[in-house]
Amino acid sequence: MSDAPFKNPGWAGNTGEFDLTEDQVRGDEFVGERPKAGGHPSASATFPFMLPEKNPDTPLFEGEYQERFEKILTRYPTKRAALLPALALAQEIRGYVSPESMDRVAELLDLSSAYVRGVATFYTMYNKAPVGRYLVQVCTNISCNLCGADEVLEAFLKYTDTEMGEISEDGNFTVIEAECLAACGFPTCVQINSRYYENVTPTEVPKIVEHLKADAAKGPR
Amino acid sequence: MAYPYVSDREVRILSRNFGDPSARRLETYEAQGGYGALKKALEMGPDAVIDEVKASGLRGRGGAGFPTGVKWSFMPKDTNKPHYLLCNADESEPGTFKDRELLRWDPHQLIEGLLIGAYAIRAEHAYIYCRGEFFETTQVLAKAVEDAYAKGYIGQDVLGSGVTIDVTVHIGAGAYICGEETGLMNSLEGRRGQPRVKPPFPAAVGAFGMPSTINNVETLAAVPHIVKNGGAWYREQGTEKSPGTKLFCVSGHVNRPGNYELPLGFPLMDLIEDVCGGMKDGHALKAVIPGGSSVPILNAAECADCTLDYEGVQAAGSMLGCASVIVMDEHTDIVKQVRRMVQFYAHESCGQCTPCREGTAWMTKILQRIEDGRGTEEDLQTLLDMCVQMTGTTICVLSDSAAAPVESSIRKFKDEYLALIRRGERVGAA
Repeated sequence: MSDAPFKNPGWAGNTGEFDLTEDQVRGDEFVGERPKAGGHPSASATFPFMLPEKNPDTPLFEGEYQERFEKILTRYPTKRAALLPALALAQEIRGYVSPESMDRVAELLDLSSAYVRGVATFYTMYNKAPVGRYLVQVCTNISCNLCGADEVLEAFLKYTDTEMGEISEDGNFTVIEAECLAACGFPTCVQINSRYYENVTPTEVPKIVEHLKADAAKGPR
Repeated sequence: MAYPYVSDREVRILSRNFGDPSARRLETYEAQGGYGALKKALEMGPDAVIDEVKASGLRGRGGAGFPTGVKWSFMPKDTNKPHYLLCNADESEPGTFKDRELLRWDPHQLIEGLLIGAYAIRAEHAYIYCRGEFFETTQVLAKAVEDAYAKGYIGQDVLGSGVTIDVTVHIGAGAYICGEETGLMNSLEGRRGQPRVKPPFPAAVGAFGMPSTINNVETLAAVPHIVKNGGAWYREQGTEKSPGTKLFCVSGHVNRPGNYELPLGFPLMDLIEDVCGGMKDGHALKAVIPGGSSVPILNAAECADCTLDYEGVQAAGSMLGCASVIVMDEHTDIVKQVRRMVQFYAHESCGQCTPCREGTAWMTKILQRIEDGRGTEEDLQTLLDMCVQMTGTTICVLSDSAAAPVESSIRKFKDEYLALIRRGERVGAA
């Protein structure tokens, strides 16, 4: 069970007649922890790659990560097709996709560095620069916007005391505007690292921010 | 009531397990008769499966509404090349939130449909391309795929039939355009997600240069039900030309937003007034976007007699798209919302074609200028001219999609634009 002080069972919780727990809605209990080495190869390319802990100096693709990388390669007829999963893995390990990571990926997949950069910069989810411990992405597209997403975004900037796209002074937050997150019936949808927060209103924002700060204060796990 | 909102007017086939956390488990799905349709399909043979899906009249749920059985029948039968089935789970059309629900509440329903589809088109490998943001949802799906492998539903010799079908879950990394079928293929191959020129069509040259078929999550999720109950059964719901049920994603200013599974042909106003509990705060209806942000806006008068099937919405002046109904009340600032949508298209344009790359950016600037009270009446004509130049002139329809809300809103809500331009009056401003 989540100990979050705000009502956020993953969807429609603030408005619906809904009595499931957050874990039940999200399926957390069903999924649980997955092995770093990737588990079954069919799903080895699907690990969350936006994590709070960032270790920019960790070597890429060694040990269990190497094992996962090799599993990923077996699922596609070409090496090139492993590029997106490999970039995701690099970000999962280091917190962002640095030029050096891209060069390493290029080398491993027999691609040119320029090609890898061209692809990496096409996709918004690869952080090309370091971000805060929590990357807060507020959807302000039409359905959320109709229901007050602009105010939610403003509230996040205010309570994290940061400018759009910057890292907050304590290193905890980066707040950015996101395009539609496909949770339009549960506005406003906010993605914080790998997790969706739905039905977020400006009054919920300080509670969420405090919750995350308390989580950060516990230190790395 | 359950799933936070349901309506007794729904016909819950695909969504029958929404809100039931146990349904994600393979045992629960099997207890409901799950994977029975796969067994039946393996006995029928690929061509009979395609015929059954053709008979059902199932149309692609990703937006275009192309008949699924016909699409499958385009796959070559006399080639030694590998075939691929791709499931498009890159749900990112603003207003659409059905695929995520299908994936996270009932992952095995999709997997069963995917396996039947792969068998029908003789594909030995199927990829599920999930949008990157769906981390939580993808974890649920990944577990379901692993479980189905362990039970022999996926893999070599599926259920002892001698047929091999592998499934790989792939995740994207944040690009709307990867929901376009050929953009998705490029992305899957490790390239920029830029759409390809057609022809050649995917059935001839698709993913990795091989014959491929791409289907939406909701399309494939309907397949087990059709195989199990027959095409004629599926036609009992919906209209002659748009058979079956469809998930309607309702968002915006209604009391009970959410996903509702209704027969195609359902009246739009019944959806808003009855199923969704009416307009929020008793406000009057101003406009509806019936099919996601890429389709023309309908004003209140056009909504009155609109029925929600592919033909009905077209007759009302828009498109059903992926049935994402965005409802706007009388206090909505149409200019601001149109600007926000076009800003989205400018952000998501892949940059290949000049009319789209330049057009979406210019349109955003012009609309922002109007919104800020610095626009001129000439700007409206400029926008309309651009809409013409951005429609039908590019590789994919992203450009057309950006033009649709601009053109339709200027035509239907011109007084709002003019009030801003002439007097600086904003709708909804306190």
